[in-house]
Amino acid sequence: MPHLDAAYRFARWLTRSPSDADDVVQEAILRAYRSFEGLRGSDAKAWLLTIVKNCHRTIAAQARGRGFVPLPQETDERDGHAMVATTAGPEATSMRRDEARTLARLMASLPAEHREVLILREIEELDYREIAAVAQIPIGTVMSRLARARAALKERWLAELEGEPDAVR
Amino acid sequence: MPCAETPSRLEAYFDGELDAISAADLERHIGECAECQAELENLEKLRRSLRRDLGFDRATPELRARVAAALDREAVPEPRDARLSPRALAGAPGFWRGVIAGMGGLAVAASAVFLFAAPVSVNPLFNDLVNAHVRSLMPTHLIDVESTDRHTVKPWFAGHADVSPAVFDFADEGYRLVGGRADYFDRQRAAVVVYQHGPHIINVFSWVDDHNSLPGDTTRSGWHLAFWRTGNLNYCAVSDTGWDELMRLESLIKEATGDTRHP
Repeated sequence: MPHLDAAYRFARWLTRSPSDADDVVQEAILRAYRSFEGLRGSDAKAWLLTIVKNCHRTIAAQARGRGFVPLPQETDERDGHAMVATTAGPEATSMRRDEARTLARLMASLPAEHREVLILREIEELDYREIAAVAQIPIGTVMSRLARARAALKERWLAELEGEPDAVR
Repeated sequence: MPCAETPSRLEAYFDGELDAISAADLERHIGECAECQAELENLEKLRRSLRRDLGFDRATPELRARVAAALDREAVPEPRDARLSPRALAGAPGFWRGVIAGMGGLAVAASAVFLFAAPVSVNPLFNDLVNAHVRSLMPTHLIDVESTDRHTVKPWFAGHADVSPAVFDFADEGYRLVGGRADYFDRQRAAVVVYQHGPHIINVFSWVDDHNSLPGDTTRSGWHLAFWRTGNLNYCAVSDTGWDELMRLESLIKEATGDTRHP
C-alpha cells in the first residue's frame, strides 16, 4: 500500500484523533483503489492525500449532521503531545524529545490551513502544484499561505525560546 | 526588512519552485545579502526540525491490517457477485469495474486515434504490468516462493493470490521455472509465475477478468507485453527477451493448459 504512512500522518493532523484518522485513511484508500486512476503515477501521493482530505470533510460533515462534534480547541496542548512520534530513535535525548513536543504543540496551535500547507510541503514534500490540488486552493494562495504559515511557526518558536537562553536558535 | 527581496520569492527558491533564470538571478543576490542567507538558513532549520520531529509517524500495524483486509474484501475474485455484502453492493465495485472496463475500451479507441499524434500511454494496465515487472527485477522483489517445483509453486498461490494458475516448468525448452510471486494490481492479487530464459527474466502475470477486455500485444519502455486469455483468466508475459522467445513461452503455456484455440 503505497503512501499509507503519508495518508495516516495527514489524517492525524486533520482529525486530531487516532481512531478518526484510521477511519478516514481506510475510507480514502478504498476510494482510491475503487477509482479508475488507481495509485499510480508520480502524483499518486498528492492524489491519495486529496482523497484523504475529501474523506475527512465528508466524515466530519456526517458527524456534524448527527449532532455530536467534539470540535477541538485551537490550542489544545494535548493535541501536540499526541502528534509526536512515540518511536523515537535511540539517539533521541530527552532534550530532543522536549523539542519535538514543543514543535508539535506549536504546530497544533496554528490555524488548520497553515498546518495543512506546512505538513504537505515540509513533511510530505509535495510541490506547490500538488499542494494546490490537495488543499484545493490556487497556487498563488499556496505560496502566500506557506509564507504566512512559516512566519507564524517561526514566531511562536522564537517566543517559546525566550526565557530559555541555553536553547539553540 | 531592509532587504528588498520578497520573502515568498526566496521561499519559492528554497522550495525549488523558481525557474532557472530567476533562480540564478536570486542566487547572485543571495551571495551578497546576509539577510537572505540567514533567512534561508532559518527555512532549512524549520524544515529539518519538522521532518525530524513530526515526519516519522507511521500507520499502526492494526490500521495496516484493517486496510489490507478491507482491500481484500474489495477484490474477492470468484464468485464475486455471490459474496458481495449489501454494503459492498452499495459501494458498487461492480459499477467501478464496469467503468474501468468502459475506460479500457475508450483507451483502445484513443490509442488508435492518437497513434500518430503522440506516444501516449493510455492503458494503465500496461504501466502496471511494466512497473510490476521492473520492480520484480530489483533485489529481493522477484520471488516470494522460490522453487523449480511446480507442485510447490501452485499451492502457494492458493493462499497468497486471488487466482491459482497452472504452473509449469519448461526447463527442457529453455524456460526454467524459478518461482512465484503475488502482485497487487487491477484491484486484485495477481499471481506471477517467474521464468528464466538465458539471462532474461520473464514474469507471467495472471488475473481474473470478467469483462473479456484483453489488450493486444504491445511494447512499453522497451519491455514486450504478450497477452492471452484462457478461461476467465487473462495472462500477460513481460520481458526484454525478443518477441519470438516470448511467443514461444506463450504457446508452451497455452499447450500445457490445453488451450489451443488461439494460435
